[in-house]
Amino acid sequence: MDLLSQVAHGFAVALTPINLLYCFIGVFIGTLVGVLPGIGPVSAMSLLMPVTLAGTPESGIIMMAGIYYGSMYGGSTTSILVNIPGEATSVVTCLDGHEMAKQGRAGPALGMAAIASFIAGTIAVVGLMIIAPYLAHFAVAFGPAEMFSLMVLGLVIVTFLTQGSMLKSLLMASAGIVLGLVGLDSITAQPRLTFDRLELYDGIGLVPVVMGLFGVAEVLSNIEQGIKRTVSNADIGSKLPTRDDWKRSKGPIGRGTVLGFFLGIIPGGGAVIAAFASYALEKRLSKTPERFGKGAIEGVAGPEAANNSAAGGAFIPLLTLGIPPNVVMALLLGAFVIHNIQPGPLLMVQRPDLFWGVITSMYIGNVMLLVLNLPLIGIWVQLLRLPYNILFPMILLFTVIGVFASSNNVFDLYVMIAFGLIGYLTRKLGYEAAPLVLAFVLGSIMENKLRTALIISAGDLTTFFTKPISAVCLSVAAIMLLMPLIPVLRKKREQVALEDGQS
Amino acid sequence: MKSSGLRINNAELWGGAIWFAISLFVLEQGRQLGLGSINSPGMGFMMFWLGIVMGGLSLIIAVQSIQSEGPSVRSLWAGTRWAKTLIVIVTFIIYAFAFTRLGFLLSTIPLMLVLLRAIDPVRWTIALPLSFAAPLLIWWVLERVLQIQLPTGMFEIG
Repeated sequence: MDLLSQVAHGFAVALTPINLLYCFIGVFIGTLVGVLPGIGPVSAMSLLMPVTLAGTPESGIIMMAGIYYGSMYGGSTTSILVNIPGEATSVVTCLDGHEMAKQGRAGPALGMAAIASFIAGTIAVVGLMIIAPYLAHFAVAFGPAEMFSLMVLGLVIVTFLTQGSMLKSLLMASAGIVLGLVGLDSITAQPRLTFDRLELYDGIGLVPVVMGLFGVAEVLSNIEQGIKRTVSNADIGSKLPTRDDWKRSKGPIGRGTVLGFFLGIIPGGGAVIAAFASYALEKRLSKTPERFGKGAIEGVAGPEAANNSAAGGAFIPLLTLGIPPNVVMALLLGAFVIHNIQPGPLLMVQRPDLFWGVITSMYIGNVMLLVLNLPLIGIWVQLLRLPYNILFPMILLFTVIGVFASSNNVFDLYVMIAFGLIGYLTRKLGYEAAPLVLAFVLGSIMENKLRTALIISAGDLTTFFTKPISAVCLSVAAIMLLMPLIPVLRKKREQVALEDGQS
Repeated sequence: MKSSGLRINNAELWGGAIWFAISLFVLEQGRQLGLGSINSPGMGFMMFWLGIVMGGLSLIIAVQSIQSEGPSVRSLWAGTRWAKTLIVIVTFIIYAFAFTRLGFLLSTIPLMLVLLRAIDPVRWTIALPLSFAAPLLIWWVLERVLQIQLPTGMFEIG
């Protein structure tokens, strides 16, 4: 009953006209960036972070969350119609979705993607509502040692899952932590690595770093490769799947939802691995696995359900532990911090309006997304025809505006360009940006927890191994670090290795 | 894997070397900031140990690059449109310096024009109106609607 009254309170917050507007803006922009290849939820959320300052924290966070789960819907459109995933999460959808489009079944593919996303997204919100309060109670058992170890585990999982060399990912994560330490020391308040620049006393800004590494670097790479795309002219026709489509899809949607939700909770996991795992699972369970890759609707329904469900699950560690499990959640943490709010176990008690308002807004957002992605699909298809040579100057212009508006300081513009170049060069050499960004956000918190844990335990390093939660986290992290050393396991890792910017 | 020995244009080797230099810098900064003691770690404690970890990882990468054949620096850009990327980078750097000196409008309009015309040329009939309309619209939204002040530059335009 208590839960129901809190949900009712959440709806009262989410249904205010201003929050409805912010929710709509969020899911609309989310769909937009999901549809457009070359700009993702990370860039869009960084861009709009300054806008959140204008309204209440609830409005801002509702909008940012909307961009995230909205992009999960939009990403499937380009996968199905153009065979270019709008988002890393939609890579798998290309395999069968585009095949369906080539066979003249683009409508049912798009329809099933939207409906599966809706079902999974909605169920994930129910799961989030039920699990988050219990986990918040459990979270008080997390002391500095446990927090530190959990963050180590999250970083190791990200480095494990990123594409290419794990050594390189670990290097990027280490560099990210160092960058996160720039600014005033959290314990002594003395400046570190500031080189007498006042702008660096508050640390390097998250927005210019992310915009540089993901926005600018992505544009530079795309220009170098020369993006060309042709949109399928096939008639989208009826978007409603047939009875047979439903029969084939209900199992994959159910399994994808459960799988995605739990993979979303794990730090470093998230929507991309959920989509891949769901596809692999459905192929394995299918009596006709040979249909996969040739237009099997299960290959669209399962992964689309999984990535949307994972997007919901990913909110749990952020809202209950204050730990962002992926880069997008790290940005959301940034939005909380801008408003002087610390997400974690106390958020539900101290700010129930924000906690429940954000969660319930996701129901409303999912309904909005269903409307945006079924009847209005034609508009998004038209948008896909916008050539990249017109699109990229606009993206660069928005990065400039986003960075400048977030701090009103031209120094951040230089930082963004520098990180754009770093991102472009590191991509060339096969270094992924995702571990750096996650480590950058976690860096100062990790250091604070490590030092606090050592001070509390009077320098006893075994504190990290005698506390059960901490010991489990560190053991799993150690196993994951050692896995690539075993050739068979290294091959397995390469099979599941993912693109950056997952999340 | 073929053994290639020490090849100076090995991109992986250069990558490892640059990371190793960075790790030495981090390590030294950590040392200068103060390591403290194990029961009261100082400001440089974590940085120092991260420097050591980074140094170790970069050395492994460098050694691996010597043992196995990696891509050459030149091959990373072979068959790409690197000159176009370079134009964008240089234009963007010039823009950043002009941003406060000339102001938002006077610097952004030429930026848009260059990006629209110099990379994959967009027709003048689209490029010209877009170069003016996009910055003006953004200026109007930020200055008038969101009350965010943009630089006006030495000519105080905008």
